[in-house]
Amino acid sequence: MARENPWNDEVLRLRALFAVMIALFLVLAGRFWQIQIHRGPMYEQDQFRQSIRRVRLPGVRGRLFDRHGRAVADNRPSYTLSIYLEELRKPGSWDRTIDAVEELLRTLSPIVGSPPRLSRTEIRNHIRKQLPLPLHAWRDLDEAAMARFAELAGRIPGVDIQADSTRVYPFGSRAAHVLGYVGRADASSDDGEEPFHYYLPEVAGRSGLEKTLDPLLRGEAGGRLVRVDVTGYRRYDFGQRDPRPGRDVMLTLDMRVQGLAEQALGEDPGAVVVLDPRNGDILAMASRPAFDPNEFVPSIPPTRWRQLNQDPKTPLLNRAVAGGYAPGSTFKLVTALAALESGRSHLGDIHTCSGSFQLGRTTFRCWFHPGHGVLNLRQAIEQSCNVYFFEMGLAAGIARIHEMASRMGLGSRTGVELDFEVAGLVPNDEWKRRTQRDAWRDGDTCNVAIGQGAIVVTPLQMAQVTMLIANGGRLYRPRLVRGIRDFGADSFAMNSPVLVREMNWHAAVLEAVRLGMRDVVHGERGTARRVAISGVTVAGKTGTAEFGRKEDRRRHAWMVAYAPFDAPRYAISIVVDEGISGGETAAPRMRLLLEGLLAANDSEGQG
Amino acid sequence: MNLYPLILAWKRMEWLALAAAAALAVIGILFIYSASYRQDDMQVTAMTLRQLVWVVLGMGVMLALAAADYRRVAAVAPVLYGASLLLLALVLGFGRTMYGATRWLNVFGIYLQPSEFAKIASILLLARYLAEPGRNFARPQVIALAALIVAVPMALVMRQPDLGTALTFAPMFLAMLFVGGMPIRYAIVLVFLGAVTAVPGWFLLSDYQRERILVFLDPSRDPLGSGWNSIQSSIAVGSGGLFGKGYLMGTQNVLGFLPRTVAPTDFIFSVIAEETGFVGSVTLLTLYAILLGGVVRAGIASRDKLGRLIATGVATLLFCHIFVNLAMTVGLMPITGLPLPLVSYGGSFMITATAGLGLAQSIYVRRVRR
Repeated sequence: MARENPWNDEVLRLRALFAVMIALFLVLAGRFWQIQIHRGPMYEQDQFRQSIRRVRLPGVRGRLFDRHGRAVADNRPSYTLSIYLEELRKPGSWDRTIDAVEELLRTLSPIVGSPPRLSRTEIRNHIRKQLPLPLHAWRDLDEAAMARFAELAGRIPGVDIQADSTRVYPFGSRAAHVLGYVGRADASSDDGEEPFHYYLPEVAGRSGLEKTLDPLLRGEAGGRLVRVDVTGYRRYDFGQRDPRPGRDVMLTLDMRVQGLAEQALGEDPGAVVVLDPRNGDILAMASRPAFDPNEFVPSIPPTRWRQLNQDPKTPLLNRAVAGGYAPGSTFKLVTALAALESGRSHLGDIHTCSGSFQLGRTTFRCWFHPGHGVLNLRQAIEQSCNVYFFEMGLAAGIARIHEMASRMGLGSRTGVELDFEVAGLVPNDEWKRRTQRDAWRDGDTCNVAIGQGAIVVTPLQMAQVTMLIANGGRLYRPRLVRGIRDFGADSFAMNSPVLVREMNWHAAVLEAVRLGMRDVVHGERGTARRVAISGVTVAGKTGTAEFGRKEDRRRHAWMVAYAPFDAPRYAISIVVDEGISGGETAAPRMRLLLEGLLAANDSEGQG
Repeated sequence: MNLYPLILAWKRMEWLALAAAAALAVIGILFIYSASYRQDDMQVTAMTLRQLVWVVLGMGVMLALAAADYRRVAAVAPVLYGASLLLLALVLGFGRTMYGATRWLNVFGIYLQPSEFAKIASILLLARYLAEPGRNFARPQVIALAALIVAVPMALVMRQPDLGTALTFAPMFLAMLFVGGMPIRYAIVLVFLGAVTAVPGWFLLSDYQRERILVFLDPSRDPLGSGWNSIQSSIAVGSGGLFGKGYLMGTQNVLGFLPRTVAPTDFIFSVIAEETGFVGSVTLLTLYAILLGGVVRAGIASRDKLGRLIATGVATLLFCHIFVNLAMTVGLMPITGLPLPLVSYGGSFMITATAGLGLAQSIYVRRVRR
């Protein structure tokens, strides 16, 4: 039987149909290859992206120690009761899950011993913004609550205790200005790589060493990858890179000395700096009034913050580096060095003080109105005669005074590891022309020569000046950081002192100034005789600097000193914001401080 | 009871197709478990066990039909056809509505889809009509009556609305006419007519159906709504890579990105592809090719035209389900609710598929020796 058309065969047609089916199957297989092999990695990435959340894990903050290894900024464990929402999830509306959370909070409340502190809105916010993270129900549980919870551990699903570390300052307000304080860190994206979805609360230094040393203390953040389901609940942890704890820092501070310095000031606004003249170590840096940095953990209440900020006594100000004062007569040491080193004055120069000094038509008075009579340099320092230093200042000229002051570190920041340090000001001709559009006059020189007028210094700078005289002119940069310990390291890597410059003063000049300073304390007519304590020779200089309107007669009371005279271990500056005079107001505090410093167990100051 | 037909059937069956069917059913049970094991335990075991029951029942139906003479079954086709139309009408009247469509009929606590039953009944009636001796395929009246046989159930199914299932009737009809001997030019005209009716058909579609087609063309149109399943399914399949993530390790369904309502049913292939990768996908496709090959082989070996046409109908029905389901899973076709034969969770289509395979085996068992 001949066929006209081969397509009339049913079997052939069925085979053709099957061929079409197989062809279409091959199309599917091609598609599988395309999306599983060719674009597979792309889909894998999509899949990863939609189900993985990155959580930033902050490193444990490094600690601060004083020079004897006492922790001054420490971490203590704090326990948080956390609720794992994925174990409480209820199908349907979010409200049902929130109900479950609230019910759990009510159940837990008697165990914890305090009422639930989370509002419905807060729970809802957590669900909306941080669903894969545990909900912190109660922070900082006390031991009793921990014990009660431990009995129930495992019986209540979805609840666990988390241990965190919290900043604590064991010495309270002592050295508060130096240590500074911490605050909640901003969610930062400076960690590189991909940004995190969630940031765990972390503190960052906001002031003082906590702020300036923040990069050391903070360590390196780690991260956790959390796999979430389509609703956003945490399913499991996918991976983790542990954070690296911050570094520990040993400070030059001696908390005993710091305590003495603060005691010396008492409640009066002012500042004290104690330097070790052998290396520039800051043994103490006190500023009053102070605050308690513990108040800033975990965060300071806004009302308290306002109160601290608006207090006219400025408790947050570190007067030792951010307080600008006229140095008064303590500056006479600089004037003397400027005049003698330049050869414009001589060690044997004698001047007569009649109680006043006539410059043209202007009369400058000595503080001792009857007049000191005939004086040599040593006596002029001992009795702080203004007239003698008017003569010296005019002999040297402002340019040389300015140069010497600048070389001794006045008018510029010391470079100590603190923020908000001010440079102060040593005026000169150029400065006056620039700021007041007026020529420098001899009267201005007279004022600067006795530490009055436009000159501004900080207590740290005056301690530095004292250090220079005590150690023979070696300008070490004042420092607070003594050593740094990496995480896991056994010991601190100690920094060596930084010698900024050497003054190369003539030995005889230095000797004369030093003897004058010794007489200030030990001489018959010294202005700080009340500082004389038995067994130790002390060298010092008082100062009384007028400020504000003349008729208010407000004065900063200064005293700088170093001791022991022959082998100085302490170079100190004290300023009290408002006092009667250096001799009356600052000297007794210096005595108190020195007595404490030089008491029997002071050998620990070694090293 | 005469066991002879059963023994005969057992001896002469298409073994390769049977093995492929069994393998697919096992794969189905394994991955229904995988797709649901993260849900609360009671339901998991319940779902997997129920599928096991359906598989056993389906295999029973298959063996019973293999033993039965397909010519006798075709003899009662008008009765079956009439009954299925009645059931479809009942669904429209008293059916249970789920997900916006009325497709299920509650029979003693079990939800059945009469549309599945109607497919087999239509194949049988159409095959019987077309296989009548002396049937002239060149006469338009013959084509028209044949069209009417499928058009009635198709229209009823479309009313549910179940567009996907309704549309499977069309290729079935075309394939059977084609294999039956319809002139090629008629086939071209019919395909053309189908394309023309699609244009006004667009306006007859409900909003969600139109949306599905638009979303298919551009899934990012509504990534959290209608486009979601399509996107997540592609991600699941694509992220499987060459060898997959391993059994029970597919994150897309564990994490719920592949919605739990569809993972064990229409999107079971996404789960399989994610966990077994390209290798598993191609293996599954190969099993289906073997299965279809067995049905086609039965048609080729058939002793008569009736058997050939029934096999053609069954092969086309299964193929439509396989192709449409896989194609939608990998983003080649719009989302439709067609289950994957023997693998997707669900009883009605399991019985339809096994009944079709049983008929094919019956045809093969009664083949002529060449």
